[in-house]
Amino acid sequence: MGLSALRVDLLLSFNTSRLNVLVALLICAALVFYFIRQGKKRKGLFLRPISGLSAIEEAVGRATEMGRAVLYTTGLGKMERVATLASMNILGNLARKVASYGTPLIIPCYDPVVMAVAQEVVRESFAKEGKPDAYREENIYFVTQSQFGYAAAVDGIMTREKPAANLFLGTFEAESLILAETGNSIGAIQIAGTDSTIQLAFFIVACDYTLIGEELFAASGYLSRDPLVTGSIKAQDWLKVVIVILIVLGVVFSTLNLDFLSELLSVK
Amino acid sequence: MPLRLPLILVSCFGLFMLLQFFWQATFLDQAYGEVLDWVQIIYLFTLWVGAVHLIKLHLKKSQQKKKEAFYSWVTLAGIFSMLGFGLIGGKEQGSLFSWIFDNVQVPLQATMFSLLAFFVASAAYRGFRARSREALVLLLVAGLVMLGRVPIGNLISEWIPDLANWILNFPSMAARRGILIGIGLGSVATALRIIFGVERTYLGR
Amino acid sequence: MNRQLIYILILAAITVPLFLPLGLKHRVTPEVERFYQTIDVLPAGSIVLVSFDFEASTVAETRPLAYAVLRHLFSNNVSVVSLSTLAEGTGLGYNFLSEITEELGKKYGEDYIFLGFRPQYQATILGLGEGFSKVFPKDYLGNELSSLPLAERVKNYDQINLIISIADGDLPQYWVDYAQTRYKKPVLAAVTAVMATSYYPYLASGQFSGLVGGLKGAAEYEVLLGKPGLGFKGMESQSLGHLMIIILIIIGNLTFLSQKKRI
Repeated sequence: MGLSALRVDLLLSFNTSRLNVLVALLICAALVFYFIRQGKKRKGLFLRPISGLSAIEEAVGRATEMGRAVLYTTGLGKMERVATLASMNILGNLARKVASYGTPLIIPCYDPVVMAVAQEVVRESFAKEGKPDAYREENIYFVTQSQFGYAAAVDGIMTREKPAANLFLGTFEAESLILAETGNSIGAIQIAGTDSTIQLAFFIVACDYTLIGEELFAASGYLSRDPLVTGSIKAQDWLKVVIVILIVLGVVFSTLNLDFLSELLSVK
Repeated sequence: MPLRLPLILVSCFGLFMLLQFFWQATFLDQAYGEVLDWVQIIYLFTLWVGAVHLIKLHLKKSQQKKKEAFYSWVTLAGIFSMLGFGLIGGKEQGSLFSWIFDNVQVPLQATMFSLLAFFVASAAYRGFRARSREALVLLLVAGLVMLGRVPIGNLISEWIPDLANWILNFPSMAARRGILIGIGLGSVATALRIIFGVERTYLGR
Repeated sequence: MNRQLIYILILAAITVPLFLPLGLKHRVTPEVERFYQTIDVLPAGSIVLVSFDFEASTVAETRPLAYAVLRHLFSNNVSVVSLSTLAEGTGLGYNFLSEITEELGKKYGEDYIFLGFRPQYQATILGLGEGFSKVFPKDYLGNELSSLPLAERVKNYDQINLIISIADGDLPQYWVDYAQTRYKKPVLAAVTAVMATSYYPYLASGQFSGLVGGLKGAAEYEVLLGKPGLGFKGMESQSLGHLMIIILIIIGNLTFLSQKKRI
């Protein structure tokens, strides 16, 4: 197929019923890159304090004083999950603290790809802290891809190794309360964060600090103050403002029996 | 080059998947079908990464003179026996593989899940305290929904299941929608950062 | 109150109804009614895609759900093309399907087929839209798809009237994201109780045409089918379990208040 024929084919085959999605995506992208630029110019944007993240320093300090390990788990998510990516960002920061204090860090993994990335992240962090020899690859390992097999394994690690701090940051499902309750029974300080709205309730009851939904995504920007991340968090906040305005307009128009806004925004 | 190549690959494939969502053309559909096939093939190879790592780890642990070495032997025995049974005897109903799955794996998994019933009770006893007005409201609503979701609620009063359903369909759903919107926006922002090479966590950086 | 006592009380509350049935009655909720009606209005000979998207751990909830839904489908002479997007759900799903089809005298290859499992559920769901035989050239039993009369009638989602996901996780959401958004197929979800609460936004927006949640949903479905089963039995234990948890919360709060007063 010649290039000009390809161009014509592409031009004619645009799915006009998805134009609203394309426009929304372009607005999102524009806001994200605008605020990333702002963040770079102003050397960081303000983010409100997130108590769960401030407690990470406390948790690592406590583990170091007690001479016990820090247990970190990214949950059941695969690497393409946004919660897992956010968790890896936090892990990078945590690993630097752990390297500087010399505290053991145990990371049982549910997914082999996540394990490979976690090993790389922790190795980089130890190297940045000037302690590449302190890195222990055998502490970051794949366990199983069975949900409750994983829960049983992590529970076993908790009861045997008795970590002083447990960090549950990522995607969790029904095993969340099993992990959190077992951690509670060994007296560990527990910080949790997940994008699963159901498991949040269990974590809030059983853990000392919980990052709710987006706070997990904001965590990496909060810890690193990286303008690339803080910029996109700012953009998300402004996008929420846009969505709230659309919701209010939608309610008003629907009440007045004017359907054009809901027609405009529906995905066909 | 070691860093640039994965970034270029991710950007190209990310942009392609976006493109084919908005444009419908024969060559795009064919390429899209190929990508889906390759995703499955690559995923299967990642399972091998996990399996090989697990076997290496437990072979190493089983040689150590520790109490837990015995469990490494159990793990290795489980891996190889199930592999053997599956390859030799097949996985159909009536095979040894199927029998072990139905009579060992399923009850073990179900037992672990059923621990939640006990853990929910102990967590609720310990954690659900009316420390403030808001906590009291939360407690009352939780009690109402718990009663409303079982027939006993209807026995006490017809209002209870109706109220429980209203709570699930309106305030609870509204709160969940709010969190879902926030998570959705976070996902879009992260996806854009990955496609344009701003987010490099998946490379371990 | 120490943990062990709490666990004993819960164990007692859950096991007593297994020996002393309470005979509780169930009220059918609108979402289960919608689920039921969506299947009931399908003409005989329709083809429904049933996906067993659960793992072994939740078999106590997913079995009654699967039984109720499959009984309804086969009783209405609807043909079922089924698969699993999770490895553990494959054997279980096939077992559930075999039990119900044997009970109702349905024939493999004509009334139902089981495609099996493919990894990477996003790719599987999207790939089925391109062609069923592309994703599953053979079925779970090793038969070529082209040799099965029912498979000959189904090329892709165009020939499917309805998609039902029996799940214990977030797979129903992927069926909506990929199969419904792209291919415009209605989706029903029969999920565990803990997942049901997160799907009410999807139900309200019409992305799910119906929702059955947990043992309660299964029990309500059994009421509509007129055939009490595992859902009914399980709900008696669950009812006393919930009551016991509420009593424990009250005791916990009374203890907390009395300690506060002393201070």
